[in-house]
Amino acid sequence: MITRINKNYVNPVGKSVPRIDGKGIVTGQAKYAFDVSFPNMLVGKMLRSPHPHARILSIDTSKAEVLPGVKAIITAKDTYLIKFGSNEYFFPHTVDQQALESDKVRYIGDEIGAVAAVDEETAEEALKLIDVQYEILPAVFDMVEAMKPGAPQIHEAMNNIAVILPVNFGNVDRALKESDYVREDIFYSQAAAHAALEPHVCVGQFETFSNKITLWSSSQAPFKCREALAKCLKMDLNDVRVIKLAVGGGFGGKLEMLPMDFAVCLLSRKCGGLPVKITYSREEEFSFSRRKHAMLYKLKSGIKKDGTLMAISGEVIADGGAYCSYGPTVIAAAIMRTFMVYKIKNFRINGYRVYTNNPISGAIRGFGGVQSGFSVESHIDLLAQGIGMDPIEFRLKNITEPNMVTINKMYLSSNGLKECIEKAATASNWKEKRGKQKHLCRGIGIGVAADVMGSKMYKSHESAGSIVKVEEDGSVYLFTGAADTGQGSNTALSQIAAHELGVSYSRIRCKSGDTEITPFDTGSFASRVTFISGNATKRAATDAKKQILSVVAEEHKLNIDDLDIIAEQVVNKTNNSIIMTFDKALDLCYSFNYGRQIIGRGSYNPKTTPVDFRTAEGNVSGSYGFEAQIAEVEVNKETGQVKVLKMWDAHDIGKAINPQSVEGQIEGSIAMGIGYTFYEDLKFRNGRVVNPNFANYRLPKSIGAIPIETIMIETNDPEGPFGAKGMGEASLLPTSAAIANAIEDAIGVRMKELPITPDKILKAIKEKEELSKQGYEKSNA
Amino acid sequence: MILKINKKLVEVDLKGHETLLEVLRDQLGMTGTKTSCTESECGACTVIINQKAVLSCITLANSLEGDEITTIEGVSEGENLHPVQQSFLDHGAVQCGFCIPGMIMSSKALLDQNHRPTQEDIEYALDGNLCRCTGYLKIFDAIRAAGQKMEEQENKLNSVHLTQTNLINH
Repeated sequence: MITRINKNYVNPVGKSVPRIDGKGIVTGQAKYAFDVSFPNMLVGKMLRSPHPHARILSIDTSKAEVLPGVKAIITAKDTYLIKFGSNEYFFPHTVDQQALESDKVRYIGDEIGAVAAVDEETAEEALKLIDVQYEILPAVFDMVEAMKPGAPQIHEAMNNIAVILPVNFGNVDRALKESDYVREDIFYSQAAAHAALEPHVCVGQFETFSNKITLWSSSQAPFKCREALAKCLKMDLNDVRVIKLAVGGGFGGKLEMLPMDFAVCLLSRKCGGLPVKITYSREEEFSFSRRKHAMLYKLKSGIKKDGTLMAISGEVIADGGAYCSYGPTVIAAAIMRTFMVYKIKNFRINGYRVYTNNPISGAIRGFGGVQSGFSVESHIDLLAQGIGMDPIEFRLKNITEPNMVTINKMYLSSNGLKECIEKAATASNWKEKRGKQKHLCRGIGIGVAADVMGSKMYKSHESAGSIVKVEEDGSVYLFTGAADTGQGSNTALSQIAAHELGVSYSRIRCKSGDTEITPFDTGSFASRVTFISGNATKRAATDAKKQILSVVAEEHKLNIDDLDIIAEQVVNKTNNSIIMTFDKALDLCYSFNYGRQIIGRGSYNPKTTPVDFRTAEGNVSGSYGFEAQIAEVEVNKETGQVKVLKMWDAHDIGKAINPQSVEGQIEGSIAMGIGYTFYEDLKFRNGRVVNPNFANYRLPKSIGAIPIETIMIETNDPEGPFGAKGMGEASLLPTSAAIANAIEDAIGVRMKELPITPDKILKAIKEKEELSKQGYEKSNA
Repeated sequence: MILKINKKLVEVDLKGHETLLEVLRDQLGMTGTKTSCTESECGACTVIINQKAVLSCITLANSLEGDEITTIEGVSEGENLHPVQQSFLDHGAVQCGFCIPGMIMSSKALLDQNHRPTQEDIEYALDGNLCRCTGYLKIFDAIRAAGQKMEEQENKLNSVHLTQTNLINH
């Protein structure tokens, strides 16, 4: 029908249109918070603790204050001592960080003050002149040590355990007894960095007389920033404006406030309203932002001879560092992911989120899924191996299905996991390769994963709002609170708006993430934007369309329900006749007689039920995404080096709004997963990050980039906008396990600790050889 | 001191220790050039000096008298994107974009010398440019296609030139 109406029209949804902000990026014209500059702008620097654990006895700023060029110095005295955190709603006792600490410091880098000066040198000189007296306290850096009685007490939490999450369903003990094969494994995932290329950066300006703040911040969640600023500075939400410009990557690291965001606002207030900018150096970024939780994953599970998964049990301990951040929900998400993937009736895992005097762990792409993905998917392979079953066959026997309710009451509506596994297996030639390339030291391995499309993490609701404004010339402005941090959500949402409105993508402009202009949106996390903000945008476009059609209906005395806008034409659906073009319809709306402004609005809050964290019950997401990943590797047994030959990724994305963007997310996720698998490792010595630079913290580079084959599975989710689901994170989750499973297929050794470095491989080969030698000697004796 | 940036002569006031990156961003307000580390590890600050990709964060500005400096702001021709820029857009090689100015400069420096780079040539040319978002694959595609486009454009130009020369000769 569309081609008959307008053969030049292309459906915006499902097409790889170029990014809406692309020209700015490739010409250098796109503005990031990093680029924000004003006349008279001051440089801010944070005053940090040099000690991992100490009591603050006194802070004397008098010498620094008289240094020429210093414009303002703040300490906790300039704040209201109100705490901020990221799990206010579900875990209020974990709201444990102040904008500036007043009594104690809990890690090397803990913020206790800030300086604003005319230039960086002066600001740094001023920091040196501030005299802080500390009483040094004993510190603890190991998560298991921290849990022992008598360990240094970091907060008030007993045994430094900020949160215990007991997740318990069915009867694990009985199920283990009834199992034919039971095994225990311990996995360790290292601490790692987000390493977004744009560091944390913010500019704050206080309007002294009108008592308003503007913060330009490289943020994934400007509305969450606004909320925390308003709360801690005792201001009204609408007196705080947070502006997100182009964001140079986030990956979860820019999801919450850092003390620097408060500091620039307080410094600006103190120096009479001059703008203040703080830019993190790469060293500060690695040392004082947030990081991936190091996690210890102990698993004990049982299966039947036929491969039926009977029970999974265990314990998860996470090194949270000095403050809670998103820690409690990260642990919960790590544990609860298993329910989305496997049909399991008996499950018991206790999660412990532990304080240490290390830097703060928080949210990172995958939200606990990277650690649980590596551990559970490696463990699943070992279980299958125990009964001599093919790991794919084993998974197909136990995975979740469409339209099922999990044991913890998640409702999985669309679920393409089975198809993902089968398609990935076919594409990779699994049957011909698995277990058959050992002579070449080659192997193939699989990992599967699931992810949410949003999650109520810090508020009672997680709605998104959009406005679609159509001007008299037919150009369209989409206002969304969602924060495009580089994933391309402005583009995808614009495609959704255009498609729903029945017009070309080229008509759309998009403004996102400015708390004074755009509607509320909780932010870019939990792979939620396409699904939740997409639904809000679709509703706003529907509303705008109805407003236009009502004018046409009135003018032509037609029934509005018979009308639609298809391919830039207003049509009468009853007889498929074209009434007028979209442009003419807008002329009519804005004509002398009507003068109707077209302002469509939409908001969407997914139909979910909040999780009860005492039981882990609740339908956390409005939909769930699934995927299977297969890795083929070749191991050099002499050097311990692993070469990943290829990765296959089959992903249930519901519907690809922009296939090229979908591929981009998958390829980027896998690259990150390769880094976490082989070399990214944030190392600490006595609480200090010892590799805070790109020379010593290696990111995946162009040389050796892994070929990836993407297979998109479109399950058309009933709740998703045009059937789409979110998919920005899931591809990162199974990567490490798929590779570890492939390594075992290649050379018969099992890697249970990340990162998988050549020395660990060599050690494992040696251990295996010694074991088999002993076995040989025994059998000969 | 006078610097030649994007074919224009620009007077800058130097104390001596300023890097080219500082001069571009802080003195001249040319914020297209980014940096992610200021210690020569990320490549986001890459510019082209006399046809070579160079890291502006470790290049002293006062050493560049008479040199041809090209930044991301000088790559497009008027309102037309350079084939490398267009190709990055067409191939979805852009995500957050923070590394992209540096990526485009490294790519352009490569393609200016060689329109048909091998996979190895591309990987080595970009070795100093970190990207956290894309996994590099779409960037490789973009560079290959841009090289083709540049070759086509040059061939077209050459044939136009040839025709003109023929016309004159006749």
